[in-house]
Amino acid sequence: MSPELIQAAADNRWAAIAPELSLGCLALLLLVLEIFLPKNRQSIIPTVAITGQIGLLLGFVWNLRYGPFVAYETFSGLIRHTQEGQFMRGFFMLTSILVCILGVIALAKQKLPKVEFFAITLVVSAAMMLLAQSNHFVLFFVALETVTVGFYILVSYFRTSPLSLEAGLKYLITGALSSAILLFGIVLLYGVAGNPTLPGSSSDSMNFNALRVFLEANPDNFLASVGIVFVLAGVAFKIGAVPFQIWIPDVYQGAPTPVTAFLAVASKAAGFSVLLILTKNVFGSYQTLLVPVLSVMAIATILFGNLAALTQHNVKRLIGLSGVSHAGYLLIAVIAAATEPLAAGAVYFYLFAYLLASFAVFGVMTHVAGANDADQDLEHYTGLAKTHPFLGAILAIGLGSLAGIPPLAGFMGKLLIFIAAFKAGLYTLLAVAIVGVVVSIYYYFGWIKAAYFSTWTAPLLEGETDTRPARTPVSLTAGMTLGLLAAATIVLGFYQGALGEWLLAR
Amino acid sequence: MNVGINEYLYLSAVLFAIGFFGVLLRKNTLVIYMCLELMLVASTVALVAFSHFNRTMDGNVFVFFILTVAAAEVAVGLAIIVALFRRRQTIQVEELNALKN
Repeated sequence: MSPELIQAAADNRWAAIAPELSLGCLALLLLVLEIFLPKNRQSIIPTVAITGQIGLLLGFVWNLRYGPFVAYETFSGLIRHTQEGQFMRGFFMLTSILVCILGVIALAKQKLPKVEFFAITLVVSAAMMLLAQSNHFVLFFVALETVTVGFYILVSYFRTSPLSLEAGLKYLITGALSSAILLFGIVLLYGVAGNPTLPGSSSDSMNFNALRVFLEANPDNFLASVGIVFVLAGVAFKIGAVPFQIWIPDVYQGAPTPVTAFLAVASKAAGFSVLLILTKNVFGSYQTLLVPVLSVMAIATILFGNLAALTQHNVKRLIGLSGVSHAGYLLIAVIAAATEPLAAGAVYFYLFAYLLASFAVFGVMTHVAGANDADQDLEHYTGLAKTHPFLGAILAIGLGSLAGIPPLAGFMGKLLIFIAAFKAGLYTLLAVAIVGVVVSIYYYFGWIKAAYFSTWTAPLLEGETDTRPARTPVSLTAGMTLGLLAAATIVLGFYQGALGEWLLAR
Repeated sequence: MNVGINEYLYLSAVLFAIGFFGVLLRKNTLVIYMCLELMLVASTVALVAFSHFNRTMDGNVFVFFILTVAAAEVAVGLAIIVALFRRRQTIQVEELNALKN
């Protein structure tokens, strides 16, 4: 951000969260437009949402041109603006744009009100941007709940479908449960760190800086340890780490495809950016507690995600469970981040590569899906490469990157994480991760095989119709978006350029 | 008897445990939902107690945020439960198993 903006932020702190405020205002604008525009003109509302966000993202990136970012705090320490926070801001704006583009395609197949989808998506993105920069447990909790409650609505958005509603209910119960556990952890940390009889206590004990000072002064406090485990459990739910992955397959299957993409990419990224802040800075002095807990979690997550994905026929469940294993690889980097400076950059790079590849795949899924959004079988992909060579190619690039095939971006992401783990001496975790990657190639290539190599199917009998849903024709916007995602996946594999330097130079 | 911070914390922990096991064991969605609210309330009991004994106001203020969030969650949650009941005529969790591989 420019020096003038920093000065302006010092005078009027609202300018520091201008991107979040603008997203919120854009959401309100969409609702106002819905009231005032005549029925036949309402189709421009999604366009307004998407172009508005692209404008915001471009303005935001343009503001990043002033050299290295100096961290500063606003709102009396509620928010801490860091370089990583800036990256996550851009990340969430990009996901929000892509979710809106996929949303236009998916909503066209349903008879449902459309405007709210975009408004809620924008509000959830703004809350995630605040969450990734929060420096105080009050803001942390409120931002997290805004995200979670927004997702309850989005997951059950196709309310005419019982499957979408069932997914919504399951997400609601598990989400509220994890929020309650997280809250109890926050309360314990607040109470113990505010106890005036203990060394290092503070009157503002929900502030991350004050909490860090307290935890450093009391290296093995029992209540604080319980609080830390509870907070980690709540965050582990967001990233879908074992044993908190229980909701993932059902919710991913029932949610509308754009929302599944939103959950898979943005919700997971928000969880990891928060986890990095907590484990690296705030809970940094409790490594003896964190390392075993997170290591067991990482091993279980990688093995469970990959093994459970092997048997799936529904592609939404498959990509959900494969996402669980990606969370496991990322957890390894989070553990390594305590000792190895490269690891934090590796997490952000991996998340970005995961964003590009996932949205390419979800974009293809949105086009292949029919009106029943929960029914997306591997079988529906037979012959995709023949009838739709463009979608087939995008699918192959996206899945290849998720599987970590060189020279795609996903390979570089995995490589960086493995290097970081190796440098940090986490050899057991590294071995488990490599086994996991090998297993994952099986199911990713099963999907590619379904699209590229024709298998014999019984010819249709007379009077029998094809049960597979018709594929949506690719519009110009969607085609350009998917093409860009695939191209970025390839380019980022060969040349990490400014992004890589910016993330990895620590 | 002198009621200190520990008594409040035991009460809060017991309420939290009742809520937690209620969510895991009960079969009716509405009862599960009440148990979830009980877990949030258990946290607020501990929060107010800590706030009193630590002589800081943050905890009391945080309770208002939690109540607001819980209200929003209930509004959305009950809407989903009602919509689901109208489609499926049941809210017993063991009958909500349409999502499978």
